Amino acid sequence: MNLAVAFQTGLREISAHKFRSFLSMLGIVLGVSSLVATLALTTGIERGTRAFMQQVGGLEFVSIIEKEISDQMFEMSNLSPGRTLRDAFAIDSSCPLISHVSPELGFAGVVSAGGHSDRKQISGVFPDHFVVSRHELLAGRFLCDLDVERGARCAVIGDSICELLWPDDDPAAVVGRTILINERPFEVVGVLPRYEREDEKRQRAARGNKNYSGRSSRRGWDAFRRKNEAVLIPYSTMFYEFRSGVLPLDSMESARLDRLTLRVGDLGKFRAALESVRAALNITHRGVDDYDLETREEWFDRMESSIRATRLSGGLIATISLVVGGIGIMNIMLASISERVREIGIRLAVGARGADIFIQIIVESVTIAFIGGLMGVGAAIGLIKVLEMIAPTENVPVMTFDAVAFSVVFAILAGLLSGIYPAMRASKLNPISALRYE
Amino acid sequence: MSLVHLEDVCKTYRVGDQEIRALDGINLRIEAGEFLSIIGPSGSGKSTLMHLLGCLDTPTSGRMEICGNDLSRASRNTLAAVRNREIGFVFQSFNLLAKLDVVKNIELPLVYAGVSSSARRERAERVARDVGLGDRLSNRPVQLSGGQCQRVAIARALVNNPRIVFGDEPTGNLDSSTGAMILQMFKDLNSAGKTIVLVTHDPEIAALSKRVIEIRDGRIQREYAP
Repeated sequence: MNLAVAFQTGLREISAHKFRSFLSMLGIVLGVSSLVATLALTTGIERGTRAFMQQVGGLEFVSIIEKEISDQMFEMSNLSPGRTLRDAFAIDSSCPLISHVSPELGFAGVVSAGGHSDRKQISGVFPDHFVVSRHELLAGRFLCDLDVERGARCAVIGDSICELLWPDDDPAAVVGRTILINERPFEVVGVLPRYEREDEKRQRAARGNKNYSGRSSRRGWDAFRRKNEAVLIPYSTMFYEFRSGVLPLDSMESARLDRLTLRVGDLGKFRAALESVRAALNITHRGVDDYDLETREEWFDRMESSIRATRLSGGLIATISLVVGGIGIMNIMLASISERVREIGIRLAVGARGADIFIQIIVESVTIAFIGGLMGVGAAIGLIKVLEMIAPTENVPVMTFDAVAFSVVFAILAGLLSGIYPAMRASKLNPISALRYE
Repeated sequence: MSLVHLEDVCKTYRVGDQEIRALDGINLRIEAGEFLSIIGPSGSGKSTLMHLLGCLDTPTSGRMEICGNDLSRASRNTLAAVRNREIGFVFQSFNLLAKLDVVKNIELPLVYAGVSSSARRERAERVARDVGLGDRLSNRPVQLSGGQCQRVAIARALVNNPRIVFGDEPTGNLDSSTGAMILQMFKDLNSAGKTIVLVTHDPEIAALSKRVIEIRDGRIQREYAP
């Protein structure tokens, strides 16, 4: 007997008992919809997290931080010059595994232009900073070596600063304007785009206006605040304009850095790269253990494992409901065959083999599961719409084709497995007693 | 060569620890073109014999050959194949599938014979017209009278062009005039060359056939030509 006939017969059976078939599909519908929704949610979280990881500098980002010196070494602490530009030079020249080094000097100054002003954190940076912090460019240019060389009075500013100073203007149009930092004029040579999380982007799109005045200080900690509020000027300019003379004996090389970050060139040699950095710093710090390397590894690992845990628990719940759905189908198929014993007997009498009956029952239960799976996908689309509104996470659920295909295949598999036992029972019926069955 | 050849066939059933001998040493040959009746009271074993002849079951012992196939120890699949190709059944209670229309019911054996759907339909319609149901092709069995139902069953039995047609009390559920019509159809089939085997308890019906076998207590008690 060919599959087309079995399929037709199956459809006829299903439509002859619509409500019963629907009830038996319900488990599959719930299972598939929860599976698809869970996969969509975790995919959303995963994408959001990955984008976030990229924007905060990725795994390659390493920060050299100051560390409290242990009591035993306290006597020696004055030997170490702390984090200085010399560290950066040493790493740059002796650690080939480190591709970029970004020393920074910080200074809180009043930024003003166009009648607005506010106290902001100003950073003096080298061009490597833009690579290490993964900055993008909305308009204009980044700072270059020549700016540092000449101590030029130019600045690259973040999106929030643009909004603060020129709330009505397009950020791209402010390139070339002049801002005052502590009453000293700087030319804006570049503007950074707005860095934001997925949900913020969504909210802004929903509002449909560009002048979203959230100063990115809403709930919780905002990882992009620093990047959005950046006022970046050349390192040398920073030192000579604002930092020289703060401590009498400071030179540009010996001034203590506020941040020292770097980028590992090859993640495959991450450990070796960190070792070489330690070796270089050991010399510049004269053996004093007053620094530490802060990596994103653990942080990212935690994020990854929480994604995995979410996916696993969601998948588990969905699997359980699919199994329950499969049992529902099995139940209905068993009821259906005991109702159709006589029909099976007639089919056997006119020459159906056991295998024909087996295939027919299997096809029916797979068809039920498949239709249930499709309904489940439909329900999942609705469910995801609801989830988007009451979003338990900051990320848009993403429904991928893979997830949908996986769930439907899983449903079909559930139908197949739960059809096997009833199909075996049906195919083993004795034709004589089946024909006599009332 | 005979179409059916039974040699010392026995069939026993076990009910609990009791052994029931339904057939006890049956020897029977049926040649092509015969019109045979099997009669006997209920419990005589005539149904069991018909199940064996109809390849719905295998004997406990003895030799059974049907249409050249030795079926003494045949598997379920072999029996199914022989039923499909060589045998047509007409039952007392019609045994049509209520969910299918007339054509689909007649098509049923062809479905399991692996005939393509267009050929199935064509053959089923032709046979339906032969039995006089040309105008009821898309009716369901519940919309037909008993006689029409039995004609559908006959069409279904004939559609795969079997060598033997079995009738198991084919007129049992019909009034006498419709029953006579159905019996006439069997007679016509036989004159056209089909081998017909009727199982009945009614000697009058048996009298229409050319050869009668009377079964009692699992044995052939008498064989005569009416």
